[in-house]
Amino acid sequence: MSEAGAAPPSAGRRYGSMSRPRGAALWWPVLLVALSIAILAGGAVPGGALQMANPDTARVSEVDEAFDALPDDALVLVAMDGDLGTYPEIRPAVRAALDDLLRRGAALAFVSVSVEGRAIAVAELARLGAGGVDADGLLDLGYVSGVEAGLVRLVTDALPPGAEVGMASTIEERGGGLSAFDLFLLVGGTDVGPRTWVEQVGTRLPQKPMMGLAPTFAQPELAPYLRTSQLVALLATVRDDAAYVESVGDDAEAENPADRLPSAAAMLLGMLVALVVLAQALGGALPRLRGPAPRPAVEDDEA
Amino acid sequence: MRRSLPAVVVVVVGLLLLVDFVLINPTVAALASGALELVVLLAAAAALAGAATLVLRHWTDLAERRRDPLGSGILLAGFAVMLLAGFYPGSSGASDPAVRWLVAALLAPLIAALFAMLFVFLLIAARRGIALRPRQTAVMLAAAAVVIVLLVPIGGQLGDSLAALAGWAMNVPIGGVFRGLLIGVAVLTAVHAARILISVEGADE
Repeated sequence: MSEAGAAPPSAGRRYGSMSRPRGAALWWPVLLVALSIAILAGGAVPGGALQMANPDTARVSEVDEAFDALPDDALVLVAMDGDLGTYPEIRPAVRAALDDLLRRGAALAFVSVSVEGRAIAVAELARLGAGGVDADGLLDLGYVSGVEAGLVRLVTDALPPGAEVGMASTIEERGGGLSAFDLFLLVGGTDVGPRTWVEQVGTRLPQKPMMGLAPTFAQPELAPYLRTSQLVALLATVRDDAAYVESVGDDAEAENPADRLPSAAAMLLGMLVALVVLAQALGGALPRLRGPAPRPAVEDDEA
Repeated sequence: MRRSLPAVVVVVVGLLLLVDFVLINPTVAALASGALELVVLLAAAAALAGAATLVLRHWTDLAERRRDPLGSGILLAGFAVMLLAGFYPGSSGASDPAVRWLVAALLAPLIAALFAMLFVFLLIAARRGIALRPRQTAVMLAAAAVVIVLLVPIGGQLGDSLAALAGWAMNVPIGGVFRGLLIGVAVLTAVHAARILISVEGADE
């Protein structure tokens, strides 16, 4: 018993006194130097040293194919369920996609099943309206509570009370539910996202194409849906977003800073800081990794 | 076997929605639609009740100077300002410019700032994790370092190669793990739902 209680401090002294392997302290500066050389060498190529856009444009091509497949005067449902914390990451791509769809003559209807998504949808609708988008090309389907239950209800009844003119009448003629739309643009966040839509709506309307736009953390979760064609396109990494934004226009000319892509230099700086901290932590742990596994000093949830 | 009313409601509604999903029948569809409307209304009511409870709790804390009166005061003030912006005479509700300004100029930056602090907190957690469980944390941090290196936004041939490797890592090992998790969660959810529906599990616990 006394042995267990004394283990952490004695273990710490024992491992702390062990010599670190030769060169262990040097690998992270070497990594930084290598990255610096790579950045300087990259300056000689077209596009500059830093390149945010993913050179693999497969995801962008899928978005283009999904948009090209839309009929004339298409109705597109924008499921705006991003959250205020992660939306800045995908905002340039979302806005580029909305502008791209409007240029192609599509009409956009916004709906949200999350509260924060509703706030974002309202802001985007106001932005588009202020930008001179024809009012007939925009429709606010509002906020629907109940998340999954709300989504299932939308399948048969998407129109809010009182919506009767313009795009609403077209939706009514096509049945009044989500089947009236030609494409679902699913903007996701931490709570609700493309996965919920695929599960609740995609299974009921499997013939309707769905495109996902989500923060990077959702990419591994959503990628399988792209492989199974339940999503026809997916933008879920910063680099894919950047490739798409660059493919539809020069974001550097965007008047609003919020429409511009994040700074590659700032991202690189953050990554380097993270690498240094991780490398230091790992380097410091190397001597302890060589010895027997120490008992957890503070927490032991295996007990 | 004695079952409580909530458990019976869960079983009936679950079966109704399941049958509606499988069969095309106007009567069943109407019943399922009614049940869904009820759920949507209940969710809205629950949100309102939650907000009311929050206000009451913090009002009491403020009045009795308990816990964090300053925090309670700020919360209630924020609540009042947002409600005022959405309900003043002539307001257009959630799309009112005042509400939009509050969201865009105050709420969104505050939440974004909180998310941005994840960067710092994650790095601190990494260092603490190494101290507590060096082996497990070392594996996690090594993987994280590799992913960061792969995602470094640089140009040139090296940048292209790193991006290609990053795509492979996301699609194959990381994607495989996530796919396995999703399938596992789906199977467990289906089994759990089936146990409730066929009354194997004590749903009235």
